Amino acid sequence: MTPEGGLAWTVYDANKLASREIYGIVLADLGAMYPNIVGLSADLAKSTKIETFGNRFPDRFFNFGIAEQNMFGAAAGMAKVGLIPFVSTFSVFASLRAGEFLRTDICYQNLNCKIIATHGGTSFGSAGTTHHATEDLSIVRALANLTVVVPADGIETANAVRACMDINGPVYIRIGRGFDPPIYKSEDYGFKIGKAVTMCEGTDIAVIATGATVFHAVNAANILKQEDGLSVRVLNMHTIKPIDEEAIMKALQDTRRILTVEDHNVIGGLGSAVADVIAASGKGCAFTKVGIPDTFTPHGYPEDLMNLYKTDTDGIVGKVREIMGREFEADEDWEDEV
Amino acid sequence: MATENDLLTARIVCRAVLPVIKVALQDDPKVKKNFANVTGTVQFLAKDPAGPVGAHLKFEKGELEVVQELIDNPDLQFTFSSVAKMNAMFAGKMVLFGIKGFTKVGLLIKILGVLMGLKILMPTAKPKNPLQAYLKVKMTLYMVSTALSQLNKFGDEEMKKWTERQPERIYQWSVDGTDIACWLKIKAGQTKAGRGMYERRQPFVHMRFTSVDNALPVLSNSVDTVSAIATGLVISDGSPEYGGKLGDFMLKIAALLS
Repeated sequence: MTPEGGLAWTVYDANKLASREIYGIVLADLGAMYPNIVGLSADLAKSTKIETFGNRFPDRFFNFGIAEQNMFGAAAGMAKVGLIPFVSTFSVFASLRAGEFLRTDICYQNLNCKIIATHGGTSFGSAGTTHHATEDLSIVRALANLTVVVPADGIETANAVRACMDINGPVYIRIGRGFDPPIYKSEDYGFKIGKAVTMCEGTDIAVIATGATVFHAVNAANILKQEDGLSVRVLNMHTIKPIDEEAIMKALQDTRRILTVEDHNVIGGLGSAVADVIAASGKGCAFTKVGIPDTFTPHGYPEDLMNLYKTDTDGIVGKVREIMGREFEADEDWEDEV
Repeated sequence: MATENDLLTARIVCRAVLPVIKVALQDDPKVKKNFANVTGTVQFLAKDPAGPVGAHLKFEKGELEVVQELIDNPDLQFTFSSVAKMNAMFAGKMVLFGIKGFTKVGLLIKILGVLMGLKILMPTAKPKNPLQAYLKVKMTLYMVSTALSQLNKFGDEEMKKWTERQPERIYQWSVDGTDIACWLKIKAGQTKAGRGMYERRQPFVHMRFTSVDNALPVLSNSVDTVSAIATGLVISDGSPEYGGKLGDFMLKIAALLS
């Protein structure tokens, strides 16, 4: 899937570029390979970085103004005639303002549209509550036919954008505003939509994270190993739907303790998706969801908001310590079986 | 007066060594036949100024229960003048002891046979017969896993310090191609030994012997653990640091029982 002549960006760039910038470059590269790719924006070409594609292919780029519903409806029509629309806007607008159009025009007809939802979670911190996308995963996860991906960093964003071309149907890729700390050093770590990536092996507890929280989960695992001697497994659950049930069940069986971490409301997002799998299995475990509680988020820098909701490194370390002390076998008998 | 070490060793004898007689009763056809339908009680009692120490075996139609208390009128009783002497007898050393219950000659002969059979637990025993080799490996691993738990329950300072800071973890031993498997569960200072493969979660450390023959030199201390891993006699999955520390405690048990 790599464009002829290689990518226009390098791993070195990934350390400097925000995920959305990498998205813009990769999309432009894909545009060279696929003449039927078109780019759509609702007056946010600069912010979502789809302008990189627009500058390279101006006749295949359409700015709809501040009219997201119209943009999603037009995208459906374009897909109907064989084009592959990449629709870029903020996550909060893609899932809420244009929600019905995403549902009825695109998902209902299972159309080949790619939604690139930027500024996910609290990443648009200082723009305030109205621009925080803290419910988008709950909404889009419930839309039939839609694949939902939340990359952890720029390199994974590149992988996700390329991989979504292999799906003949709607895909929602949620990325941050930036500046996501880089996790991966290369693209060759086996990214596959629907398959979680094991960031570290462990048997004491499994931390299942998505998006920007993966970086913090890995950091937390390192701290917990050094300071507490804990063996923490970290799963990068980049695909929320279809979720990797096999990886969840393996983590459950191996560790009996699961902690989910997401920059999103704890109702309906990653934690709920993992809980669904566990509940359906009938197996017991100690389980905790970390994320934004049932509240609207305040203004603030993204880092401060992640600290507030304990989705950063310190928060995850504290939650793991808390969950390790929880009893999940109340009938425990400590007499030796001899 | 028994020392702390004597009492710890006696605890391991009563709670970890005596219970492995069950393995012989179950897996050695000769012992199984000898004890079929046997009913009676056999007590091991060591005198001590602080009070007698010991346990008794309760046979019920060939089934054995090891009871960690002393009873007044056992059918047969082995009496030792000190705790150290009882420990020495189980370490295979020659000691004098009293026997009460000579009228139960049949039971006495059978139990002496079983006690002699426990000698295969000693590191110097290198059985060549496949059944005896299987029994040695199975009985040793079962004894060691329980002894480690007892070491902690007794309050051994070093073991306590090690177990207290661990969350729930499973240390598993098994021998490929056999039913030999046992585990030690540790959680915040508590321990429990069990038999079989632990099914509810993945072991934190799993010491997997590749065969009975490969387990023998390791359990007889002919080969150290590092060399055993290097040569493939045993495969150790999980934390090497914690596996190594567990190995240290296993050596401590071996020293207590020798």
